[in-house]
Amino acid sequence: RKRTGVKNAFVFTCSGRTAFSRYSKDTPGNFPKLKFVFGSCALQALDLVDHHSVTCLSSPSGRKAFQVIGGSGRLYTCFASCHYCPCPAFAYSVLRRNDGLLCKHLLAIYLCEAVGGTLQESVSDQQMSALLSGTAAP
Amino acid sequence: MTDILTLVFRTFTSQTDGSEELTGPPTSPATCSALLVGDAGLSRSVLLLAAVTAASEVGVRVVFFTQTRIQSLPPCLQKRKILFSYPRTMEELLQQVARLHEPTNTSPAPPSLIVVDGLEGFLCERGAGLAGFHPGEQSVQAAHLSALLCDSAAFLTRVLRSRSPGADPCRVVASFQSPGDGGRAGGEASAADPTLEVLDRYFRVRCTLDRAGSYEAAAGGLHEVWDIYLSGTGMADASDTT
Repeated sequence: RKRTGVKNAFVFTCSGRTAFSRYSKDTPGNFPKLKFVFGSCALQALDLVDHHSVTCLSSPSGRKAFQVIGGSGRLYTCFASCHYCPCPAFAYSVLRRNDGLLCKHLLAIYLCEAVGGTLQESVSDQQMSALLSGTAAP
Repeated sequence: MTDILTLVFRTFTSQTDGSEELTGPPTSPATCSALLVGDAGLSRSVLLLAAVTAASEVGVRVVFFTQTRIQSLPPCLQKRKILFSYPRTMEELLQQVARLHEPTNTSPAPPSLIVVDGLEGFLCERGAGLAGFHPGEQSVQAAHLSALLCDSAAFLTRVLRSRSPGADPCRVVASFQSPGDGGRAGGEASAADPTLEVLDRYFRVRCTLDRAGSYEAAAGGLHEVWDIYLSGTGMADASDTT
């Protein structure tokens, strides 16, 4: 599948949220680098990007969060400023085994932000609070 | 956070011969989140002192989350800028922290210090009904709460600086006692606790408090001597920037 959305994303570092530059027309495709750094979840993350699975939620207070539609159709709410995802892969591979830096949902967020592929949606302050606390209805 | 802790330790400890003057790294994003580990009673006292110090000496609003109700406050503290909140469960704690961004909590001024006393008490529950979690996974709960605290602090920092460009960042401090922590010497405590390893991902500075076997008994009074260790990736990052 042609991955036009991310062919020009370039990895500078693998630490923190500065891992990706903004979209650059002069930068060649770097999928092998993504795969080298992030392993098997790179392909899965690119798939999520292609399916426009990442949405940035904003509330009137200015608070933001990201919501990713997983492969199973389940919604995962992730934070804007630090690594966390409620998916089983994050709990097992990242937290318990320390095998990887990110899950595919977090990587998809970074990629979408880098290439400008994030959808935007507004929610109320109360809805935002429920999503952040994990008590919102699925 | 290390700046407030340093101020607390400097104010409430006595300088004896041969001891180093207490200095800490400057305030930076790397040092804004700190985790107190060690004796639970000691940690709670330090957290309360930190809250009082922040409210009175630094002059900032404080939100203090604890399961154990404060029985009474001295009159001089009752009008201070400290809001005590008593969530009973992890779910309530998450909801209250998540609501810190709402206008009712950021007006007239947003909190600049978030304190959580006794994380272990909230994490010991099984199956709090949180979406996407495997019930009873303490590490996952720890990660969710820690990430929410850090993300909330980052948001409140932006609010504080939008109102006052030179404002200090919002700080987070929490205490955690690993099972079996009591009685261990500092530095040895909690070495293999998976929950603590998760907490270390989000709290950049660890402050280890140890008073085991450190009493100085003197005629006419007892003096407690605490060993305080500051460690973590936040300390290294702060040193690199100075």
